[in-house]
Amino acid sequence: MIWFVRVLGICLFLVAWEFAARGVPGSVLIAGPSEIAEHIQSEFALYTRAAFATSVNAGLGFVFGNLAAIVLAVIMIVVPKSARLLSAFALLLFCIPLIASGPILRVLFGPGEGPQITLAALAVYYTTLLALLVGLRAVSQNWTDFMAVYGRHPLSTLRYVRARASLPYLFVGLQISAPASFLGAMIGEFTGAERGLGVLTLRAMRGLETEATWALAIISASIAMMAYALLGLLGRRLVGYTPVILLSAPQGQPTQNLWMRVAEMAFIVGAVLAIWQISMDVSGLNRFFAKRPGDVFVFLAESENLATVLSALSETLGSALPGYLAGLGLGAALAAALILAPSLGQVALPVAVALRAVPIITTAPLLVLAFGRGIVGTTVVVAVMIFFPTLVACGQGLRQTPGQIVELFRSYGASKWQTLIKAQLPAMLPAFFASARMAVPAALLAVTTVEWLATGQGLGMLMAMTASTSNYNMLWSCVAVIALAASAIYACVAMIERRILRVYASEQLS
Amino acid sequence: MVGPEIHFENVKKRFDSVTAVEAFSATFKAGQTTALVGPSGCGKSTVLRLIAGLTGPDEGTVRLGSEVPAQVARRGALAVAFQDPSLLPWRTVRSNIALGAELARKPSDHVDTLIELVGLGGFADHRPAELSGGMRQRAAIARSLVSQPEILLLDEPFGAVDAITRRRLNTDLPPLWRDRGTTVALVTHSVEEAVLLSDRVLVLSDRPASVLADIATAPGVPRDSAYRASDTFRELSDRIFEALETGAVG
Repeated sequence: MIWFVRVLGICLFLVAWEFAARGVPGSVLIAGPSEIAEHIQSEFALYTRAAFATSVNAGLGFVFGNLAAIVLAVIMIVVPKSARLLSAFALLLFCIPLIASGPILRVLFGPGEGPQITLAALAVYYTTLLALLVGLRAVSQNWTDFMAVYGRHPLSTLRYVRARASLPYLFVGLQISAPASFLGAMIGEFTGAERGLGVLTLRAMRGLETEATWALAIISASIAMMAYALLGLLGRRLVGYTPVILLSAPQGQPTQNLWMRVAEMAFIVGAVLAIWQISMDVSGLNRFFAKRPGDVFVFLAESENLATVLSALSETLGSALPGYLAGLGLGAALAAALILAPSLGQVALPVAVALRAVPIITTAPLLVLAFGRGIVGTTVVVAVMIFFPTLVACGQGLRQTPGQIVELFRSYGASKWQTLIKAQLPAMLPAFFASARMAVPAALLAVTTVEWLATGQGLGMLMAMTASTSNYNMLWSCVAVIALAASAIYACVAMIERRILRVYASEQLS
Repeated sequence: MVGPEIHFENVKKRFDSVTAVEAFSATFKAGQTTALVGPSGCGKSTVLRLIAGLTGPDEGTVRLGSEVPAQVARRGALAVAFQDPSLLPWRTVRSNIALGAELARKPSDHVDTLIELVGLGGFADHRPAELSGGMRQRAAIARSLVSQPEILLLDEPFGAVDAITRRRLNTDLPPLWRDRGTTVALVTHSVEEAVLLSDRVLVLSDRPASVLADIATAPGVPRDSAYRASDTFRELSDRIFEALETGAVG
């Protein structure tokens, strides 16, 4: 019965869509389902080849990225002293938008599949790392004590307890990262590949081919969703249940001493610069395109270059901000609204959980088509990118309000509204801020991608241009500046989070 | 084989600003069961952790026979059962119990005998989620015995089960370690349980823990329902309560 209703719903939706498309003849906005189906049919061979190429790259990146995440997580668990530093590196790398690392990788790898696979790996490692760490750490002290009583090393705890206990969490990570790997591969293709769905999307966008743009967005979103569904199924079959976890870097208690904090940060920055310098030197890549920290510094020391980069940065940040705020605000507001209307929530939340997985970038071309190449289009893409993860996380946060507290409010006859404001919203704050932090890199990725593809503004445009003008100093400087900006904004959000949670959820910080 | 004597010599242990144990000297006699009773948070568990080598003393020494705890642990001669049974949910009862032998690098050939002894016959292939709380606790005790440890540490092993089950476990399980000459250190909140299960009771003071009284229970008397109903049992319990109260006033 429920299946019948769903199928009927989908049919009605398709009919409405078709009528909307026909109602606006010659529209460059909407292509109806029949046109899209016809288009896919006529280009079937081309699209199959492209989808295959992208899927292979995404799959390879998925494997490598997740292997890296597993190795990293295991090191962090077995050598706890390394955890702080490694997680700082992992976060920093995550803060660099894929669209910024793309051109650099293209320059370093040259033509071929390298950048697509690397970007797919970069797109997945962080989610899996976070999920897996939660799982590996979800082991009671009794167990670590138990192993020590038998004179066993932490590796035994890993082997006997943590490895198996973390499997459900690993699958959550793998499931969410499957669509992300697809996103990474497509962004890799934007930066100049020979084949793949990304290449075709770029071509369709530039040629204002509405049907092709729609067809490509639908194909790539479906493949990504299929991978998501398949891994979910596999996880449920193999480990039985799906734990609810907040996918966000844990907010560690910073070292109390200010000087220690400065020293730690200086060490991390120094280490990153050293890794950059050494990896370039060791790989023996041509200095013409493989720039070192020194080159970037000298380049940015010239006031004219610095002014160009900074004005592009302010343009990028300026167009990211409205979408960032809108996405967070709407996500949290809808999550709260769904708590007031629980029956609606039961329908909407599973849909949101699934939509969170859609690589929004694949639909960015559509959104730009619909909302234009100006600030509105950009804002919509950024907001949509952030909206779903925020909605899901805040929904989880709200439902984690201790049941006894909600019952206490009920027993005093408090209204739903009062309960929401006084008990549930404070309980949601940790999830909200976790989303706000994770949304910083997401927003920058979305905005630079739109700039690259469509609006022709900001750092995205600057990077796209330098790829053709061979101004590699500019390219590396843009990446360095955006990584720095992303980390700084992330740190600011984290600071606000600590200030507020100190009042509302002090136990979260201890 | 009789387990070694456990000897604390003037031990001090601090955690940040809290001194858990200070000037603590005590002997847990070889092959006997010694119960530790005292107010909550007084450092009883710290004493167990020191014996297990999970934490080291800041001052003084802890000796197990002629060895330090880490040496005994490495030989696989220590075992522990906590208040929480801590069974691995993905392993069956049998393989959870066998884990004790596996980790201690001892043969696991008497796993099935033990399963019968703790009264879990017929549940060997069940998973922990399918068992009651009392059955899980039986499995956890069996796991701690399967490696035939010389020293057994019991941290409130019956604390989380209901009163009826606790009473049954109190009669069923202790013979398994008493008859073997294992040196047992038992932490409990229940004075009756201490008198029933141990050969000696160490009454500890509030933090930092020191020994207020060292009371020998009834040697050679069988631990049955007659003992539980006897005047000796009541007198011993009263003496322990008295010692606890003096400590509380002091």
